[in-house]
Amino acid sequence: MYRGWTDRRGFIKKMAALSAMTAASAIFPGILFPEAQEWLGTGSEGLDWKKSPCRFCGVGCGLLIGIKGGKAVAVKGDVRSSVNKGLCCVKGYHSIMAMYGKDRLTKALVKRDGAYVETPMADALDLVASQIERTVEAYGKDAVSIYGSGQWTIPDGYVASKLFKGCIGTNNVEANARLCMSTAVTGFLTSFGLDEPMGCYEDIDHADVFVLWGNNMAEMHPVLFSRLLDQRLKRKGVKIIDFATRTTRTSMAADRSILFQPQTDLAVANAICHEIIENNWVNRVFVESHCSFRKGLTQMGYGLEDHYEFKDQSEKIDFKAYKKFLADYTPEKVEKRSGVSAKDIKYMASLYGDPNKKVMSFWCMGMNQHTRGTWIQNLVYNIHLLTGKIASPGNSPFSLTGQPSACGTVREVGTLTHRLPHGLVTNERDRAFAAKIWQVPAKNISPRPTYHTVEMFRALDRGDIRFMWIQVTNPMVTLPKLKRYRNGAQKADRFIVVSDVYPTPTTDVADVILPSAMWIERAGMYGNSERRTQYFEQMVEPPGEAMSDTWQLIEVARRLGFERQFSYEEETHIEEIYAEYRKHHDNDKHNMAPLSVLQSQPGAMWPYVRGKSTKWRYNLKYDPACTNGKDFHFYGKPDGRAVIWQRPYEPAPEVPDEAYPYWLCTGRVLEHWHTGSMTRRIPILHRAMPHAYVELNPADAKRLQIQTGDGVKIRSRRGEITLPAAVNQRGVPAPKQVFVPFFDENSLINELTLDAFDPISKQPDYKKCAVRVEKL
Amino acid sequence: MRIKSYLAYPQEGRKEELARSISNVEGCAVIPAKNRDVLIVITDSENQAADDRLRQRLECTESLKWLAMVSGFSGSERQSNV
Amino acid sequence: MKKRLGIICLFTLLFATFIAIWDYSYRKSLEPAYTPLKRRITDRIPLESGVFRRDKHALDYADMAIDEKHRHSIADYYRNRAFPGAPPTIPHPLLDERSMGGKDCLSCHENGGFVPKWNAYAPVTPHPEMINCRQCHVAQKVQTQFRGTNFEKIPAPAIGKGANRASDGRPPVIPHSLQMRENCLACHAGPSAPKEIRTQHPQLVNCMQCHISGQASTTDQKPLRERI
Repeated sequence: MYRGWTDRRGFIKKMAALSAMTAASAIFPGILFPEAQEWLGTGSEGLDWKKSPCRFCGVGCGLLIGIKGGKAVAVKGDVRSSVNKGLCCVKGYHSIMAMYGKDRLTKALVKRDGAYVETPMADALDLVASQIERTVEAYGKDAVSIYGSGQWTIPDGYVASKLFKGCIGTNNVEANARLCMSTAVTGFLTSFGLDEPMGCYEDIDHADVFVLWGNNMAEMHPVLFSRLLDQRLKRKGVKIIDFATRTTRTSMAADRSILFQPQTDLAVANAICHEIIENNWVNRVFVESHCSFRKGLTQMGYGLEDHYEFKDQSEKIDFKAYKKFLADYTPEKVEKRSGVSAKDIKYMASLYGDPNKKVMSFWCMGMNQHTRGTWIQNLVYNIHLLTGKIASPGNSPFSLTGQPSACGTVREVGTLTHRLPHGLVTNERDRAFAAKIWQVPAKNISPRPTYHTVEMFRALDRGDIRFMWIQVTNPMVTLPKLKRYRNGAQKADRFIVVSDVYPTPTTDVADVILPSAMWIERAGMYGNSERRTQYFEQMVEPPGEAMSDTWQLIEVARRLGFERQFSYEEETHIEEIYAEYRKHHDNDKHNMAPLSVLQSQPGAMWPYVRGKSTKWRYNLKYDPACTNGKDFHFYGKPDGRAVIWQRPYEPAPEVPDEAYPYWLCTGRVLEHWHTGSMTRRIPILHRAMPHAYVELNPADAKRLQIQTGDGVKIRSRRGEITLPAAVNQRGVPAPKQVFVPFFDENSLINELTLDAFDPISKQPDYKKCAVRVEKL
Repeated sequence: MRIKSYLAYPQEGRKEELARSISNVEGCAVIPAKNRDVLIVITDSENQAADDRLRQRLECTESLKWLAMVSGFSGSERQSNV
Repeated sequence: MKKRLGIICLFTLLFATFIAIWDYSYRKSLEPAYTPLKRRITDRIPLESGVFRRDKHALDYADMAIDEKHRHSIADYYRNRAFPGAPPTIPHPLLDERSMGGKDCLSCHENGGFVPKWNAYAPVTPHPEMINCRQCHVAQKVQTQFRGTNFEKIPAPAIGKGANRASDGRPPVIPHSLQMRENCLACHAGPSAPKEIRTQHPQLVNCMQCHISGQASTTDQKPLRERI
């Protein structure tokens, strides 16, 4: 409409419009004329604002991105998004700058005689395809693999699964969400039979008490934490309880900060259940009609050895047996082991037990990266199930995610070795169902799961895997016990393809580096922690020859002879792939919203049934999939009942001793996201947090005569690094514990960590191993 | 040259319909308010006769409740204002 | 006797209370009448409520003299923002890495005032109820870059004579988004306001009566804290 009036007529029209607007705003204060900018030619720089979910964490904030001259130039929070309601965090506000780092990869690079040579994209893709063919021929299908990411968009993960599982015929499909969310998955599956939270973020607006289980939410999920703070400001009696191993900003903001010894959360959770039963706070009606009791195997081991395998076997128990089991977990007994006073345990139990309080539990990596992670999640669900505080507004055990599409892609598309978009590879019916949609013979899909992530990299080291394609992730920073896996990847006769946007330690081990189009340089969808699927359109052009991961996979698939299965049109492929993907979830329990809905609003929550998002699953009032005629229906389990699990305390695989007397915990900081390959290229974030450090308890620091900034060497049985000390800075670990963030590729803390994992979820524990600390 | 601006109030619930029908009239431009039931209409016509016709046509719009002129310009002279 | 005295005391007390209340209500009636406007709550009004929300101890902006030596400029204002509209970075060392805003940042940035340590007036936050300040505002510990950037900062909206208005003499329209910045006075009044955008009439607090939003505001709505 705006034609840039320079003529007199235009000027007079502008005056007339402005007069009318002034008059209108005198009559209606606060009136808005969104199209006024076009008329007046004033206003903010003439930006074109487009919506997208944020590129970073799993909260899935709605952003509005200001586009001008083909570039993303500004960001603001999308007030229409029910996730963040207009607020972002510092990473979100500056997220667009992650696309404009000086060293963006814009050309394919192929390693020839030890040096990377710029190669036309088409040639590089030819090479990747021929290498897959050659490897399959020489070593078999299970020698090729793809390692993806919770940052894969839904179409990326979908075509990867279709190509490798459906067409090539190997289940060597894994993703970094195995290091991040797989315990959340097994937690949900064991307790409820279906993955992902029953509630949603709206629970925050109804809950009275928020218990954060090892979750430094103020830094890691700041936008949601601000929603908690906002509720506390607005409503009386709202409390935030920080239950953690380290004092952080979250502890400072919480009403109560309770510290526990690493791994003893298992004991404390059982003690809370003990108290709930002791004090008759059990919601008997709920438990009797909706729960069953089971126990599983114990002494499972820790997966430290190659070829380790474990399969849980469970048996039904009754309430009496469960109560007897809990007798070992009185608050007084647990106090000794956990360092949490019996009084504090009783206090937490009383919050959960109070029938007039709605309680939300939050957790993320503290409970996921845990060698007994599935157990601790079962135990927290136990608390909510015993009290009946679940699946209703404000009563919500809530597993948070760290990546923008850990839920949307890895968990829902099923890019893990044992999964299919719908169901499991071990189930014949599920295989036939997927094969039909994929237009491949059902026998193409192997019924045998192969390697989970840690074992996949072990297989690469051993030589069982010879070809690996790594997309949107940085395992050479994030794998535990890094040295073994880096050496494995660099062995002769291993072929590594890395698709990324910047050079990283992972591209350093690549034979072919493919430049990727990131985020809004292509179209795609992410799925966040609350089952919300969000779409973003392509807003800017990718640099150089950079290509979306989806299209890279399609190009290679076609070169491998799967033109029929990958016959998508370049202009509409995202739409076509999403439509095809939706067929896998076409039922009341998981239906995905159509693309047109995702385009018109800031996302929709699955199950999306008859034009409506489902906010609370398993609750008859909100969930159309409830069919048992009762108020709740846990339809993930054959008997319609959620499971209360008997799970004991077991120690961590490596505990501090005389030689290595400190616990090492690793994690993130507010400013950097994961390995920092994007956020460190945002000048504001780099300047705020330029390098890693080791946090020490002030008492330990005093004894070792270490001050902030001093060089400190920390050593484990697997490696050592030197870092500057931080005493009384961002966080304060408990005595005899240290904390190191993992974002800094120049100080790789994962040289020290242990590759022990939860036997059920196969997710490594990055939060606990033993180290020695020396002043330099 | 006759240029005028108006505040146009639509019939209950018919704001969008009104905006559509007015913007289809030649010489008329519409700036709808986002949060109130009112539109700004700017008319542009060559002479008084054309302007009268335009105004009549506007007033005949079915979804219009009430039209209030805010300012008008005639030739180089400014005639009225609020 | 005691009982009678008690009754007399009680009535005296009641009478005194009556006088006090009557006096109070009389005085109140002398004040100009104020009828609270009932605003229809819709989702799309940029809020002015923040404009009036001031601590009773806050500086009286209308009467603040101009302190020539310590005025901020609009260049300062944009220097510590990655793009116009970005949350500003913190240009000074932090008091505490771990604390929440209520205890630290807000002690200066809620109401403003002169800080001898930095020889400057503390800018006032337009959203003091949000206390996880470092969620969006981070300090700059070093001046280096990790790998360099090609990000281009777009120019800020023009200010000064003729900008943001159809003709001279008219009140300028608001050239920026109001999201997170509904409290006009926070940036446009008081000694910490950049001199180029400091209003000469801070006493006229209903800013949006004359200054309409020139921003394409389809995307501006009520922010987090005003919703239930």
